[in-house]
Amino acid sequence: MQLKMWILSGTAIALWLAPLTALDKKVGWHKSVQGLSLCAAIACAVSAGNLARDLSEQQEIDEIKTRAITADIVDEIAVNAYVSQQQRQQEVETILNPVEHLERALALPDAEVERSELITQKQLAEPEQNGSENGESERAERALQLKAKGWGKAKIILEVWGVSKGGSPKYKAAEAEYKRLVEELG
Amino acid sequence: MRAMYLANYFVAGCIASSFLGWVASLHPMAARAIAFLAVAAFILWGLCWLLDFSVSGRLKISVSDLQALLLASLAAIAIGAGVFLCS
Repeated sequence: MQLKMWILSGTAIALWLAPLTALDKKVGWHKSVQGLSLCAAIACAVSAGNLARDLSEQQEIDEIKTRAITADIVDEIAVNAYVSQQQRQQEVETILNPVEHLERALALPDAEVERSELITQKQLAEPEQNGSENGESERAERALQLKAKGWGKAKIILEVWGVSKGGSPKYKAAEAEYKRLVEELG
Repeated sequence: MRAMYLANYFVAGCIASSFLGWVASLHPMAARAIAFLAVAAFILWGLCWLLDFSVSGRLKISVSDLQALLLASLAAIAIGAGVFLCS
């Protein structure tokens, strides 16, 4: 197709220029040949132009197709990447189950405080079940630990006995027990 | 390829111009007719150049395209006529 177009273009130019330059206008049959060759040249040039236009349109269609295919591929890759990211996220969430979440939370610095609160609450909730000596020794141990960390008296009492500072009988009893334990063990 | 098809139509215009010159050389009456045609074409060309906005709107092409078309047609006519007269 393209070769045909090039040949037609070359022929058109040859048929246009060659008879005009080579033949004599004064000779009758030369003039006729010039006319015929010019008509043929016009036909060749128009045919070549039509062919070139068809080829150009075909080329544009091919480019549009290529662009569409490229866009499809890019879209497919993007979708795959999104899906695989979601899968990875789900896998991670499956791996990090609630037990591990809890363990991780306990591993944090504040977790120790929370754990001690839990222990204290448990002790206060079940004072009768545990022996009084065991409870005392645990409280004493815990109070000494907290004192070693630099906690104040009121905070330790609140932490270990679960009684806030004030003039309540519970607080006074807890304070007395605290003082006694500190004196005994300290 | 687009340039190629434009070039081919341009060459066709040049050859057509030479052909009109050849027709004009056949007989004095033909020469007059071609001269009249040439004058009419030139007036039309000038009008198109002056009324480029309205003509481009009527032909549904841009003004720059119309101007390029007018210049290319003038060049094709000039080249075709020149080739015929100089040969």
